[in-house]
Amino acid sequence: MTDLIGRAELGEMFAQAAACIRREHQHLTALDSIGGDGDHGTTMLRAAEQMERGIEESSTASLTDLLKSVGWKVLGVDGGASSALFGTFFAGMGDVQLFSQDAMNCHDLGRAFQAGLRAMSRQTKAGPGDKTMMDALVPAVTAVTAAANAGKSISDALDDAALAAQLGAESTKDLVARHGRARSLGERTRGYPDAGSTSVALLFRGFSAGLRREL
Amino acid sequence: MRMKKFINEPTNLVGELLEGMVLAFPDKVQLSGRNIVARAWPKESGKVRLVTLGGSGHEPGLSGFVGEGMLDYSVAGGIFAAPGAPRCLEGIRSACAEGASALLIVLNHAGDVLSGNIAMEMALREGLKIKMIITHEDIAGGPNLEDRRGLVGFFPVYKVAGAAAEQGASLDACLEIAERMERNMRSLAVAVNTATHPSTGQPIFELGDDEMEIGMGQHGEAGTGRMKLKSADETAEIMLNMLLSDLQVATGEEILVLINGAGATTLMELLIVFRRVAQVLTAKKIKLIRSAVGEFITTQEQAGFQMLIARMDPELIELWDAPADAPFFVKR
Repeated sequence: MTDLIGRAELGEMFAQAAACIRREHQHLTALDSIGGDGDHGTTMLRAAEQMERGIEESSTASLTDLLKSVGWKVLGVDGGASSALFGTFFAGMGDVQLFSQDAMNCHDLGRAFQAGLRAMSRQTKAGPGDKTMMDALVPAVTAVTAAANAGKSISDALDDAALAAQLGAESTKDLVARHGRARSLGERTRGYPDAGSTSVALLFRGFSAGLRREL
Repeated sequence: MRMKKFINEPTNLVGELLEGMVLAFPDKVQLSGRNIVARAWPKESGKVRLVTLGGSGHEPGLSGFVGEGMLDYSVAGGIFAAPGAPRCLEGIRSACAEGASALLIVLNHAGDVLSGNIAMEMALREGLKIKMIITHEDIAGGPNLEDRRGLVGFFPVYKVAGAAAEQGASLDACLEIAERMERNMRSLAVAVNTATHPSTGQPIFELGDDEMEIGMGQHGEAGTGRMKLKSADETAEIMLNMLLSDLQVATGEEILVLINGAGATTLMELLIVFRRVAQVLTAKKIKLIRSAVGEFITTQEQAGFQMLIARMDPELIELWDAPADAPFFVKR
């Protein structure tokens, strides 16, 4: 297996993720007005802008520095928990140990996603089933690792991840919020997908589209 | 219903309100970096600095309490949203400049705690002398301390820890005072009308015309129970009894009571509520040793109030009585 991604591909993944979020931000806000205070779409829109800026400003950096830069930019959005968690995820991905500073294979990408997830779990106790972004993120990250282990290409792995995130986000429809601001609404949150998990699905849809376009 | 607020561009709310604050109180506060409020006259070196962080749209909290005897830095977030970790780190760095030590006070809300934790991680890695305390005194969260949100309880913590810092107490001593205050206070909120989110123009929650909700959070997070609207006396009694029982206040003890208006509830109503609280305490032979009534943290034009009680000891009382000079709290 020789397929590798570098700065250009990673940049395109984030660019397409930002584009996906930008297209859907009003939908995210509508979802968040059910369980939260209706500002999730605005927060994600600002996070998307910072993802683009992070990529732009570190066009010559190593892959891990590029991820940290994107993460730190997103952390800088004054958007409460969601931007803090997405920023932590991206910055955490940058903690991965790579053999090369310029290229990642499918296993490296899987390990980077796992590192991001570990960084997040230091900051939140939420896990799958709590009706949070974790319901989409955990299956997406698991899908990339599984695809790498099965010897699939990076773009196939990201397609699997996008599908897993989509299914994960849809599964939150039947759940009752147990974490975050929506928790206090309890049963009133049933019947609607969680806004944060929907954002994760958009992120991975963008990652997958970005790579399809680049390869 | 159309939003009727005197605002300009909704994306500039925080910057404009802070600009207004420093222009109105130039002898007390100044801006230090983007949306970070600092004292106009920095504290002498060698004394512990107090830093806080939190969302905006809750004025006068939190930045209105930057000043002598209280906060040194307040990192203001977006409307109802925590500031990002990089700016929190910037606030901590300013507070810890030239080897100073600082105490970070964070209200227990998911976004605030996240940003606080991330900033703390980075600050400690840089070797800065900083410690953090989280306030979580809202009993509506249930028996689990982690689930209890921080409401107006930040105020007595700023006050006593701020006074201790001003008197030259060490970082550990300031933290001990803050923790003692935190452990000995409880709060509860009631809401009768929603507020509109000033950026989106949407109501932040729905409540029936004849309903009230006890236990509602700072942003309209649902509480423990909706009920038919009750009188001031009845509401005051229900809430006070819940608080006294949770804090396990015994006959003969001395407590502080603070009534905080949510934004639209009038001072008339707050005073009528306070009157009943004082009467009930007298009947129960619990001594009302200090009190405060007014607006310390609001949520736009939300109607309702927060009630806070705190068990006081002689040292906490002395620190509560110490001078303070912030834009929205002055004690001489």
